[in-house]
Amino acid sequence: MFGFFKRKKSASVAKDRLTIAIMSDRDRTNAYPFMDEMKAEIIEVVKKYIGVKGVEIKKEVDGDLEALSIDVELDSDTVVKKI
Amino acid sequence: MGIVIAVISGKGGVGKTTATANLGLGVALNDKKCVVVDFDIGQRNLDMILGLENRVVYDIVQVMEGDASVKQALIKSKVNENLFFLAASQSKDKTVLESDKVQKLVTELKEDFDFVILDAPAGIESGYEHTIEFADAAIIVVNPEVSSIRDADRAIGILDSKSYKVKNGEEVAKYLIINRIDADMVQKGEMLKSEDILEILSVKLLGKVPEDKGVIDASNQGKPVILDKKSLAGQAYLRIASRLCGKKVDMKDIEVANSGFFSKLSGMFK
Repeated sequence: MFGFFKRKKSASVAKDRLTIAIMSDRDRTNAYPFMDEMKAEIIEVVKKYIGVKGVEIKKEVDGDLEALSIDVELDSDTVVKKI
Repeated sequence: MGIVIAVISGKGGVGKTTATANLGLGVALNDKKCVVVDFDIGQRNLDMILGLENRVVYDIVQVMEGDASVKQALIKSKVNENLFFLAASQSKDKTVLESDKVQKLVTELKEDFDFVILDAPAGIESGYEHTIEFADAAIIVVNPEVSSIRDADRAIGILDSKSYKVKNGEEVAKYLIINRIDADMVQKGEMLKSEDILEILSVKLLGKVPEDKGVIDASNQGKPVILDKKSLAGQAYLRIASRLCGKKVDMKDIEVANSGFFSKLSGMFK
């Protein structure tokens, strides 16, 4: 009986969960405003040596530790340029 | 010179196309010249909602590729002479959209129409970015439900980073439509309140649309629900369309159930 009255309404549960989920989404996707520019520059640099298809940069947060993980997808059609 | 409004959502199935059709017809009913454009390439739904599926000859991709002129491709509404429609193509996929071609098309439409309303693909799909790129304003459609709201926030994020206006230091106006509100559920605390959704997404409210069975009935017949004077959703779209046309229409609180004594009573104890 008392449990019924104490139960938190699902709408307020939804609000709490959404607030947290969206905060972490925003943190991940809009980590830095210069992301696109940085991506383009990384592509330019790697391109000097090997074909690149794309670059993916993710901000990862683990406790106090923040890291950028940069994935460079290579273009399999191109051969490594001779330096 | 008209205004370009993209109707967007995070995920699909929240009523974006229905909103586009009804807002288009709604502003046309306010004596504004309006064109609704189906940018959901490959899906083609807006023609059905408008009841114009049999009139489509040329589509948006043919116009952008230069195979047909805008004039040839525009379809006039059967119910209002101010409303025109440009169909999506069914055969090609969304990757055919290119920035410069989209810009050329919307610029041309802006010259002739007061309102250019674009029905965007869902925010998580490709083609979304091109639809919002040259929009002056965006109307975000959400349902009072967690996944719809979360995905809407992502779609807003993309809008803020890819919009031509934003890139040029201007602001792209953003307005929210909360669709499919169930007043009883809100009163019982089982559905998110509008004010909570607005707080989470931090955008301005354009209007609230109640859950209404008449919407399916209307789409069955290809007559937008705004034409049904008795429909609560239709009335809501009429109010929203008037707001878009600059009229001051008070926000009706559809979250307070209007049916019966008991629902009013339960509203007192919220």
